[in-house]
Amino acid sequence: MRRIPLVLPLGLILVLLFASTALSQMNVRLRVIQASNVGRAVDPSLRDLHGQLGSLFNFTSYRLLRENDLSLYPGLPASIQARPGRFIEVTLVRQYREDAEVRIRVIREGKDILATMVRLSPGRTVLIGGPRHAEWVIIFALSPARY
Amino acid sequence: MKDSCSSVSRLLEKYFDQEATDKERSLVEDHLAGCLSCQDTLEWMGDFRDSVKTPVKMAVQKEDFERAWQNIRREIQLQEKSSWWKSIQSWLDLPRFFRKKVWVPAVAVVAIFALLTTQVFFEEASEEASYGALPDVEYVDSSYNVMVYAIEKSKITVIWLFEGQEMEAPSS
Amino acid sequence: MNQDENELISRCQKGDQEALKEIYDRYHDKVYRIAYGMVRHREESLDIVQEVFIKLFRSIGNFKGKSKFYTYLYRMAVNTAIDHSRKMYRVFSSSLDEEGAPQPSEMAEKGPDRILLHKELEEKVKAALDELPPDQRAAILFREVEGLSYREMAESMGCSIGTVMSRLHYGRKKIQESLRKYVKEEGRE
Repeated sequence: MRRIPLVLPLGLILVLLFASTALSQMNVRLRVIQASNVGRAVDPSLRDLHGQLGSLFNFTSYRLLRENDLSLYPGLPASIQARPGRFIEVTLVRQYREDAEVRIRVIREGKDILATMVRLSPGRTVLIGGPRHAEWVIIFALSPARY
Repeated sequence: MKDSCSSVSRLLEKYFDQEATDKERSLVEDHLAGCLSCQDTLEWMGDFRDSVKTPVKMAVQKEDFERAWQNIRREIQLQEKSSWWKSIQSWLDLPRFFRKKVWVPAVAVVAIFALLTTQVFFEEASEEASYGALPDVEYVDSSYNVMVYAIEKSKITVIWLFEGQEMEAPSS
Repeated sequence: MNQDENELISRCQKGDQEALKEIYDRYHDKVYRIAYGMVRHREESLDIVQEVFIKLFRSIGNFKGKSKFYTYLYRMAVNTAIDHSRKMYRVFSSSLDEEGAPQPSEMAEKGPDRILLHKELEEKVKAALDELPPDQRAAILFREVEGLSYREMAESMGCSIGTVMSRLHYGRKKIQESLRKYVKEEGRE
């Protein structure tokens, strides 16, 4: 029984932290796309984006390199590697109902090439692309996950 | 011979794969002694095996698996960084506490109480937040030139990086 | 499973990355061979290898030792490779158009008998393998490249031995039919 007074506040802290993050959490879908003008192949998994990609960009070929569903917790960055030496880091800054502010960093060879803060809401997609590397360019597509 | 060939052909693959029983092996070998066609089929299967195996084995020799391992390790470490539960667990040295079971009911009661109060607290706090006026892109900081497009109709925001004078892919 | 491997797996289940490295050193070439056999693309095969070992580290807690560890890993490898090959859109190009491959006119000049060189057979087999459904392709790779027994193949593919034999048989048959018009045996002396 002597241990309960010590453990109670620790347990309370843990539970509060757990509860706060469980309530404030966002699931996003991040796709890493390689676009180029070599060939005319379009990855079937990009069908939902193809129309928009086609109207926005002049590339003829799109290949899905990676697709990840990320669970974002406030202040905790989630990173994925697009290609060796290139990462994208996404951090949930603030959330209100279904809208969220998300900070995005794109890192290449250990240096930030982009830092931005965007708003994500249901149905909205953020595309981050460029610069060109040889014949291709990487495009990150970030959107709230549909469940 | 033809009837014999058709009955043995089913066993030929098992024989080639060294999966035939002793009886089946004996049957096949007796047949092969007098059948050129089945001998050729067996030889073809051997050539086919080499043709599948050789390019694959050669490809293995060309790869840098040490670099691949570095990527694996990095990815695991990145994933572990966002496992906040593990960080808190190690900071509080919880395994030591978990060995004592007497506090479990006390923490369970606290957990239920905290969940109920925390939910109420967050609902009140979030109502005060104002999101209506937020732009889609609050800021952009980059060593490259940046263009930002927002296409309301398709609910897409594009942030495009490019170098110098080159106006890259975005077509409109 | 031997004692040494049991210990490695146990350490890996507890999150020991050094144990994962040892498992990686033992099995990376096997996983790569399956990946390369399935997708025939070096960079993608390396991506698959990386993905398999990352997945392995996350899910090795689910491995209860009821099957052999390498069949568990093979199954992960082939499923990951199949997922990759479903996502990717590939343009199939005939190997006859590739530089260095004999062209039909060249072959005609050699006479009515077409002689299939070993290298050309490799190219034809590669093209024919690409046309197979993933499960038949996996069966052929497990048997011809990895030398697994039917039982080990059944464990690795999560099916019965009968299904393994059927996939092997139909896979080989389809490839033989694809190659038939290019193959002419040299006359037996």
